[in-house]
Amino acid sequence: MELRFTLNNKNVTTMVEPNLRLLDLLRDEFNLTGTKEGCSIGECGACTVIMNGKAVNSCLVLAGQCDGAEIITIEGIEKEGMLHPLQENFLKSGAIQCGFCTPGMIMSAYALLLENPKPTEEEIKDAIAGNLCRCTGYKQIIDAVKKSAEVKR
Amino acid sequence: MIPVKEILLPKTVDEICRLLQNNNGTTKIIAGGTDIIPGFHIDSPRFVNADRLIDINRIDELKEVKVKDNSISIGTAVTFSEIISNPILKDKLPLLAKASKTIGSTQIRNRATIGGNFINNAPCADSVAPLLVYDAEIKIKSYTSEKIIKLQDFLVKPYGTRLKPDEVVTQIAIPVPSEKLKGDFYKLGRRRAVSISRISLAVLLDINDNVIDEVRIASGAVTPIGTRLFDVEKYASGKMYNDNTLREIAIKVGESILKITGVRWSSEYKIPVVQQVCYQLLKKIERG
Repeated sequence: MELRFTLNNKNVTTMVEPNLRLLDLLRDEFNLTGTKEGCSIGECGACTVIMNGKAVNSCLVLAGQCDGAEIITIEGIEKEGMLHPLQENFLKSGAIQCGFCTPGMIMSAYALLLENPKPTEEEIKDAIAGNLCRCTGYKQIIDAVKKSAEVKR
Repeated sequence: MIPVKEILLPKTVDEICRLLQNNNGTTKIIAGGTDIIPGFHIDSPRFVNADRLIDINRIDELKEVKVKDNSISIGTAVTFSEIISNPILKDKLPLLAKASKTIGSTQIRNRATIGGNFINNAPCADSVAPLLVYDAEIKIKSYTSEKIIKLQDFLVKPYGTRLKPDEVVTQIAIPVPSEKLKGDFYKLGRRRAVSISRISLAVLLDINDNVIDEVRIASGAVTPIGTRLFDVEKYASGKMYNDNTLREIAIKVGESILKITGVRWSSEYKIPVVQQVCYQLLKKIERG
């Protein structure tokens, strides 16, 4: 089926198989491999992207459901070659170890800051509750999001 | 394996009904997909023949929350995030708002819909117990018919409902609860986030002059499907509202659930927990 949508602020048109997931479309068709596949059932959050302003698990969305949607991936948040404050602060805060959860974690935080530029610690925890990290621990990640919220202000 | 060969994106409910005409079960409706897609991966017999999916996310009528004539109407494709952020629902249906917050994660709540929760009818569907105590009715349409039935009559067994292959649930209708009905919802899972309910309970009480005029209790997860405990409600109504009565109600709730499930390996620890949860919820209402 033909699909038209906005991907990282660019209009794109592509042909997709109806059984393709958004995750596969991003990684295999558009080579946007920042979005990771972890559990494939919506529990780990590694595949989180922004769909119409909201964080979603791209493993639980079929590409065919995205006609007309606005999708933003980890590759779409830098500006003119400069890292997004979230990316900067994840690096500075030591919030990355193996890095597998990082794109999903940042996209969840990105969605939070879109809606709520001044989140409390509880709100940050709630926003990333669907993102598993198995190496760094969450404290550094929460710190990085806090710092980014301050920068944005 | 995802068996889907076609995805349709209708813009009206009539269009859905037309597409469902003569459906032999190979056409399925998808909204959030948070149950269907994991179902595909385990080759669930419920979805293995799903050749054709109808995505219902683009239909305004199914995305609306409205209050009219003392009834709250929630479109079947309203997501749990939309329920949580809706001030009317938070005010009028606090148990539903509270239960919705406990579902999955932000990512899941941004996709998962209220209709999908009870149409999938998993034992652990967290919004079902609150909907049952609020006396929810659901509106079902097909190409040739339209009907309204009580949610409790719609739910048949785990993962089973009365929905026919040519039908679509369009709205959930809830009578605006009387201001006098006070209540609460509790969910017990193995962890705090992205957790599957082991026990959930929804309770509403109306107390007048220290007498229990009305009580509504529904269980989730601990019974095979979300269930109103009418026998306990009947027992409790008209009783004096005091600590002793609350204890008796809690004990009856445990007994009533045991009658439904029979003794299971987990009964020994789950039943006392259900009873304690029930007692605490009822007690909390007293404290306000």
